[in-house]
Amino acid sequence: MGLSAKTSRRRFLENTAAIGAIGAIGAGQLVRACTSESKTGEVEEPVMLDKAPEGEPLKAGVVGCGGRGTGAAFNFLNAGPDVNITAAADLFQDRIDKFRQEMKEEKGVELDDANCFLGFDAYKRLLDTDVDVVILATPPYFRPDHFLACVEARKHVFMEKPVAVDPVGARSIMAASKQAEAAGLNVVTGTQRRHQRDYNNVLARVKAGMIGDIVASNVYWNQSKLWHREKQPDWTEMEYMIRDWVNWIWLSGDHIVEQHIHNIDVSNWFVGKAPVEAVGVGSRQRRVTGNCYDNFSVDFVYDREVHMHSMCRQINDCANEVAEQLRGSKGYTNCRNTVWDPDGNQLYAYEIPVDENDKPTVNNGYDQEHVDLVAAIRTGEQIVEAEETARTNLTAIMGRQAAYTGKKVTWEEMMGSGLKLGPEGELTMGPVDIKALVPVPGSAPE
Amino acid sequence: MVKITFFNLPENEMKKIFNGKVLFITGLFVASLVIFLGNKAVSWTSTDQFCASCHIHPHSTDSWKRSTHFDNKRGIYVHCVECHLPPHGEGHLWEKAKTGMRDLYGKWFKDPENLNWEAKSQIEYAKNHTFESSCIHCHENNYPLGLTQEGREAHLYYEEQQGDLHCINCHITVGHYDPDRLHEQNTAFGISEEVVAEVYTEPGMIDGFNDFTEYIPGSTVSFEMVAIPGGSFPMGSPPTEPFRDQDEGPVREVSVSSFFMGEAEVTWDEYLAFFKQTGAQGKTADAYLNTGKAEVDAISGPTPPWGAPDQGWGKGKLPAITMTHHAAEVYCRWLSRVTGKSYRLPTEAEWEYASRAGTTTPYFFEGDPGKFVRHGIIDRIFGVDTAVINSYVNYAENSALRTTRPANVKENPFGLVHTLGNVAELCSDWYAEDAYAQYPDGALIDPTGPESGQEYVIRGGSYRDGAENVRSASRSHTLTEQWLKTDPQIPKSIWWYSDCTHVGFRVVCEYNEHEIEE
Repeated sequence: MGLSAKTSRRRFLENTAAIGAIGAIGAGQLVRACTSESKTGEVEEPVMLDKAPEGEPLKAGVVGCGGRGTGAAFNFLNAGPDVNITAAADLFQDRIDKFRQEMKEEKGVELDDANCFLGFDAYKRLLDTDVDVVILATPPYFRPDHFLACVEARKHVFMEKPVAVDPVGARSIMAASKQAEAAGLNVVTGTQRRHQRDYNNVLARVKAGMIGDIVASNVYWNQSKLWHREKQPDWTEMEYMIRDWVNWIWLSGDHIVEQHIHNIDVSNWFVGKAPVEAVGVGSRQRRVTGNCYDNFSVDFVYDREVHMHSMCRQINDCANEVAEQLRGSKGYTNCRNTVWDPDGNQLYAYEIPVDENDKPTVNNGYDQEHVDLVAAIRTGEQIVEAEETARTNLTAIMGRQAAYTGKKVTWEEMMGSGLKLGPEGELTMGPVDIKALVPVPGSAPE
Repeated sequence: MVKITFFNLPENEMKKIFNGKVLFITGLFVASLVIFLGNKAVSWTSTDQFCASCHIHPHSTDSWKRSTHFDNKRGIYVHCVECHLPPHGEGHLWEKAKTGMRDLYGKWFKDPENLNWEAKSQIEYAKNHTFESSCIHCHENNYPLGLTQEGREAHLYYEEQQGDLHCINCHITVGHYDPDRLHEQNTAFGISEEVVAEVYTEPGMIDGFNDFTEYIPGSTVSFEMVAIPGGSFPMGSPPTEPFRDQDEGPVREVSVSSFFMGEAEVTWDEYLAFFKQTGAQGKTADAYLNTGKAEVDAISGPTPPWGAPDQGWGKGKLPAITMTHHAAEVYCRWLSRVTGKSYRLPTEAEWEYASRAGTTTPYFFEGDPGKFVRHGIIDRIFGVDTAVINSYVNYAENSALRTTRPANVKENPFGLVHTLGNVAELCSDWYAEDAYAQYPDGALIDPTGPESGQEYVIRGGSYRDGAENVRSASRSHTLTEQWLKTDPQIPKSIWWYSDCTHVGFRVVCEYNEHEIEE
């Protein structure tokens, strides 16, 4: 299945049927579109709602009440009329307390004590409440199990990226995504660029052929050091690792998966597929805790020798950039807002509309994700993004494994890999049988 | 006389109209009748009873009634035509007509006793008369409520294969129950059979360059090894040989050193001795993802197979099949260790030298491949004289599409059996179509094939091949990806091919004059 922004399979089929209904008139065009790469030149302007329409009241529960969980809860409450947050689950009491306080102070939403749950199985009890929507915002290690449980409980889902840390988890998300689709559920993932007007306007031009056939892409997430936590005397090893999660491979998937996934996703989205293989380098130079690398440089290959070069770094005082560049046979684009011809002349630029105080008059991507989710639930125009996000997620994992092992890693290997990270057996707040070993590629001379 | 008039039209005009109407009504009636009778005929010939009235092969109705498509919790019967014909609107009537003609031909011209029903129920044949579109017609959702973790993984895999897999690759027994077919890891395979017999403690002795019997220590298994004296021969086939393929040339003069070779293909008895002594569960091939190391311990053993590797044909002296090239090599290393000798797979040159046994003809016995293969309608009806090839080779025409025991055929001049036919035999060489041309000019001494490659050579053809592909010079190769298509394990087994039932191997024991004299 192709990677397109908001076209679930069902909608795709409807669209195809509609094209069929146009019949003879459009036949010539249809044949051309099917038989070659040539683009029609017609731009299909993206349609995005400012608010979700009215409908049945929706209640959401939040699993993982840290910064992003809280942010996502706010975004959900901004989505439209009659939406509410009614339940919360986390591993730590202080997180739940802070979440409830912020909900009350910022949004006037008060949660019942009976709907706030603590522990590794808190998500199960949250699913037993009468929520319609679940927001999953824990570290990604937990996502595959949480998502599957939500689908089996027939809840609509908003879940943050990444959605998995290993191939087993990514494939679980893919299958559960298909289950969600079959069950008529709606799923939006936190790859918010897909819900930004600027990106979608550029994509519409790229699809219409403004830069011709895509021949290469470069994606970057080079930034300063991210955060870390020092171990506290009263924390168990498990608590420490989870509070310091972005630095641990088993919890975050490493920063190429955890953070750089956004840029890799833009390339996959615009190119319309996932790469077939990767070779990469990476290392750990400055990171303080955990066992993640702090830099990767990976050469991904789509079929027909189209390459995506990906680079990510979390080290202070280096050149920083978070961006995507896509080069085509007739021009190039930054994917975000501008298209140029091969000589650097601007062909198209999108400016986010602002009011007199320079404040944007349209939603940011974070709010738009939830507008789109609630709109999908209320209109029946199904949207299920989990499978595509899992494919990008697995792309990032493929790049990570290429750097860790020094070997060429293929998509096929990833689709057949039994690699599963994390401790064996049931999780408890105690010692964790995982050493802070940093992966070392290849071998040294004897 | 009463005249019927309409709208005061003249009589002749009226007649025309009247005749037209009669014609129209009659036509309508006849057409309706034809459609009605046609539909009646279609539905009458589509009942289970009608199907069963001709389909006299054993157990088809019984096995259907014991399958989940008849005997289920929901009280649903799935009828013959719902699986064995495509859905309406997707070629249903056309396929019904074709099937009907074929069945009538079969009923009138063939003896059901002589039809190989078992072979026809194997997946690759069953695919021809079980329509995937019909599976999907009812089973629209691959991810239904309550699907297990394994089911999720398997259906995801199925969808990723984009049409290479048929539902029945895994769900073969859902329409016709078969207790002998498994689609699961077969942990009981080869370990439950106890034989009361002498357990050998010492390996066989090599006494000079003579045939010897090998005993596998710690088992009840022995097998015969034949001394193959070294010599020279033309490897490959001349362009004039019937059915010759490009990859059999150019013919090269090759000399090989003396060696011992298994009289027959490695049997299940022999292979299971290895399996029992080394078999292990839970070994994986992609350990490198965790450790960065791709090597597998030299004498680690096979994991339990998926399904039944012997296909339910039996074990014992039947050739072992479905092991991977890797597994065959590990077997040889293991056999070397337990017997203190140097066992390995034959090179392609050794294999052909041993199989030809001094002959340069297409087979090591008399006969022209052109005469053993049926050409045209006359041959098809009256058959061809295959008495000679039948006595030496288990191949498509006489195999009933399964392997056979060594005792059922005659040996070649060296005393080897089944080099041609039965199972295609794994060699140690990488396969290349132009392997013979790649060698440097001049006579070749103990050639070992290309330096590297993707697939390995297999030789001799198998029970599935016609006379044209069981010639001494015929070459073929492994198809690793295709032969692991339905292995649903992640990662796929490195020990067992899930989708290849016609490959086995034969061992070579190196002959080292000095070592043996000592």
